[in-house]
Amino acid sequence: MSELTTSAAACKPRRRGPKLSSVLGVAALLIVTVIMLSPLWFMVATALKTTKEMLRFPPTVIPEQFAWGNFKELFVNSEIKFGRQYMNSVIVAVFSVFGTVLSSSLVAFGFSRYRAKGSQVLFMLVLSTMMLPYPAIMIPQFLLFTKLGLHDSLLPLILPNFVGSAYMIFLLRQFFSTLPAELYDAGRIDGSGEFRLYWSLTLPLAGPVLATVAIFTFIWSWNDLLAPVLYLDSQENFTLPIGMAAMMSSKFRLAPWNLLMAASILASIPIILMFVVAQRRFVEGIVLTGMK
Amino acid sequence: MKQSRRRIREGRYFYLFISPWLVGFIALALFPVLASFYYSFTEYDIIHAPQWIGLGNYRELFRDEQFWNSIRVTVKYTVVSVPLTLVLSLLLAILINQKWPLRGFFRTAVYFPSMISGVSMSLLWFWVFNPQAGLFNYVLSWFGIEPIHWLLDAKYAIWALVIMSFWGVGTGMLIFLAGLQGVPSHLLEAAKLDGAGPLRSFRNVTLPMISPVFLFQLIVGMIDSFQVFTQAYTITQGGPSYSTWFYVYNIYVNAFKNFRYGYASALAWLLLVAVMVVTFAIMKASNRYVYYEGGPSR
Amino acid sequence: MRGKGKWATVPLGAAVLTAMTATGCSGGGGGSGGEKVTITHYTIDSPDRTFVEKLIPDFEKAHPNIKVKVTKAPYEQFDSKLQSAIAAKNAPDVTSHWGYGGFMEYYNKGMLMDLTPYLEEGGFKASDYNIPDSVMDIYKVDGKTYGIPLNSYVTVMLYNKDLFDKAKLEYPPTDYEDKSWTFDKMVDYAKKMTVDSTNLAEAQYGVDFGWGERDQRPQYFGANVYSEDTWTNGGKPTEINLSKPETIDAYKKIYGLIWDQKVSPTAAFSKSVSGQFGDPFLSGKIGMSVVGSWSLASAKDFSFNVGVAAVPQGPNEKVRSVLYVDPLFVLKDSKHPKEALEWIKYLITTEVQEKSIELSGGNPPVNQKAAEKYYSNFEGIDPEQIKQVYEGAFKYGFESYNHLISNYSQINELFINELAPVENGDKKAEEVLPVIEEKLKKLLQRVNE
Repeated sequence: MSELTTSAAACKPRRRGPKLSSVLGVAALLIVTVIMLSPLWFMVATALKTTKEMLRFPPTVIPEQFAWGNFKELFVNSEIKFGRQYMNSVIVAVFSVFGTVLSSSLVAFGFSRYRAKGSQVLFMLVLSTMMLPYPAIMIPQFLLFTKLGLHDSLLPLILPNFVGSAYMIFLLRQFFSTLPAELYDAGRIDGSGEFRLYWSLTLPLAGPVLATVAIFTFIWSWNDLLAPVLYLDSQENFTLPIGMAAMMSSKFRLAPWNLLMAASILASIPIILMFVVAQRRFVEGIVLTGMK
Repeated sequence: MKQSRRRIREGRYFYLFISPWLVGFIALALFPVLASFYYSFTEYDIIHAPQWIGLGNYRELFRDEQFWNSIRVTVKYTVVSVPLTLVLSLLLAILINQKWPLRGFFRTAVYFPSMISGVSMSLLWFWVFNPQAGLFNYVLSWFGIEPIHWLLDAKYAIWALVIMSFWGVGTGMLIFLAGLQGVPSHLLEAAKLDGAGPLRSFRNVTLPMISPVFLFQLIVGMIDSFQVFTQAYTITQGGPSYSTWFYVYNIYVNAFKNFRYGYASALAWLLLVAVMVVTFAIMKASNRYVYYEGGPSR
Repeated sequence: MRGKGKWATVPLGAAVLTAMTATGCSGGGGGSGGEKVTITHYTIDSPDRTFVEKLIPDFEKAHPNIKVKVTKAPYEQFDSKLQSAIAAKNAPDVTSHWGYGGFMEYYNKGMLMDLTPYLEEGGFKASDYNIPDSVMDIYKVDGKTYGIPLNSYVTVMLYNKDLFDKAKLEYPPTDYEDKSWTFDKMVDYAKKMTVDSTNLAEAQYGVDFGWGERDQRPQYFGANVYSEDTWTNGGKPTEINLSKPETIDAYKKIYGLIWDQKVSPTAAFSKSVSGQFGDPFLSGKIGMSVVGSWSLASAKDFSFNVGVAAVPQGPNEKVRSVLYVDPLFVLKDSKHPKEALEWIKYLITTEVQEKSIELSGGNPPVNQKAAEKYYSNFEGIDPEQIKQVYEGAFKYGFESYNHLISNYSQINELFINELAPVENGDKKAEEVLPVIEEKLKKLLQRVNE
């Protein structure tokens, strides 16, 4: 208590004094904000411009007439298949999240609750695969899935999530290890089997961490381009990133910047939504994973 | 007796629970690492069986201009983009951490662009950098700067991508912000009582406290930036004049465009080694500079 | 890039072959009541290729023992997907070189089936399908047939009638024998239509000279980048002539259109209006465009009136047009080559070729009888003119390098990247050509050994 008062007292005179620094600081931040947000503005404005207007120089700040039709065009134009690709991305992301949450928590539970011969070594192995860059192993993985006949399907993008992700296993294990052993002893006395201890005791307690895992698996899967480029052939099977990249390069003779910006906006919406709905988990996840 | 039965039981559960990972580890990590090691000594176009050529791929690689170029491009990008992004995000985090008005707004505004990521971000910036109708040159024109061709000019393309990477400072900012808020206020108070100015207390208290965060971001940032692919694939196709021919793009082209899976596997293996070496080196170096609470002596 | 991007490289061919059951393919054709076989036809995922799906029902009706399945991939990934399908023992039966690589690349990799025995057995005659022998010969090696032509594209000049009218210029001729229509005259015309401006909305250029791929372009000016033996030895050049004066002069002329005469769009302009691969002609800001005739297929979508003309007479008297004859191949792993051939033959009959024109939006048939119908497929353009342009182009044509040279995709990549500074105006052609020559030699040495 006394410490609090002292600090408050110490602060007061300071706050009065160097007001200039805060004015300058806020001004600097305002400038940064304008710089950061102006490309976003450009994106939204372009998405609403007609093909004619989008190429005008200097660019118009506010579209002369709002071409909402651009958004519709994405779904109506049968050559783009945007709706289909959006669905594919959702399918891949949802299954990836489900798979990762399920398998990573199972594995993390195993690592946090049991000692066995080799468990230490195996955990070191988990940690070491955290650094394993995907490009370093993509060729054999690609050959493996191709020989299994899974080419041009969403399965090679989904299946690897069902064996757990090293990072998520690590995160969850750290959390599970904080749960008191007494909790489990009590559960065992009640006659719960090991699987029940995992399912009905541990998982419910881990809600927030699981949410973090889910959010970041979703984002990662949503943005992934390299694996879809390797595995997906036909436009109907594309996920959004590869579909959008293809849209710029080939389906049109003139780069449809307005449609591309509209597509980019729609593609970003799920991530923005998650940020709005679950801001705390979201920020926590960034801090924990450093993920972009 | 009882003890050992229990141990066996525990062991059984352990392996049962971790079995998904074990399967995945063997099939999707261990096998690929070994297989690509093997392929790296072969010539392999996936139609015909791999042909053992010994060190042929590695020998070729050291003479391959494109290999060296891809390293130059990737390193250039990494050493500029990663540290600058880190410093920028730390600066922003410090500013936003002050008890000034509109904190929440600034935090969200600076982070918001980071949510436009992957291909969306690449497309947006390709458009922003459009030499004739893009935002960037338009703004430069206010200062009388002639249009620059950015992504279409070999001299500028890589810098355009670096500038683009600054747009993602929001992520780092959030992480530093959390780090800054984790600095115990009693330490700062103590520094203040000792008469330390804001700069000194930052250097002596805050910086050591957040150095693990800095280190973590540095490693993650470097590893990420070794693996840049999306920008090269989506907007530059490695050009113009190979100026954005990133390392992973080089692997991709060699394997999936030129069908040289053996050669590409050699490249992939070197990437693996590079990532391990860099991570290890940073960790090693950091022992001297990074402060871990409660354990610097160990 | 530019228009050639997608389609140019390869025409479509997609034939699918079906096959007979591996075991009892006793030559019983048609509906011998044998077991049903499925053949796969692999093609680019774009409407002018995938239309073959609509031809399948009739074919299956006529050949009850054959089922045709179509698989697709986008242009950029056509080759790699094919490669993986082969690796997965899941190779299509019928396809064409629709990706970056060409016939020679496929041939040298041993991917193609020698069709000669099957053709002889069935008594195949090119004349039954109105295919000129010279065209049939393109896909023969040592007298053995590896591909059957399906479509033949040529290089044409498209021009924007509106811009011509505004500049009060006479329309260029369609007759290749009209020797007054020269490269220099084209440049004169182009100057009159050019408005050089950094403002995208005002800028306008006279001509976009997209003649062939970058390494073939000097041919128009009478210089050859590769030694003559390339065309007979399986597409492996033994000599590169990039530092010869005539080649350097050719490239100077080509890029002089952009930087000296300033009548052609810069790469920056083209990419600004049309992205990485698009064709700036469609923006309506280009007076004349020398392109592959696949661009005609989209003529109905142009927002301006378009005309078609002969490629002007250049320094090379013999070659004025690059030909892109798309064949259909049967892949070596096909278990049903006979059925595959049935499907291919079906696709080149006059009736089906005629039908394909409309379904595809205007693919030029290789069948010369069906070609008549192709000429009249374009609204607003006189059929006689198209016919004249096509016939002239065939007469003064040379097959596209990408079909003839081995490992073409890597070569092309090299040219694209090494010439970029010239296209951007940072370097002169004479500075980079010797460098390209060195690199190309090294590349060829590696891939052709």
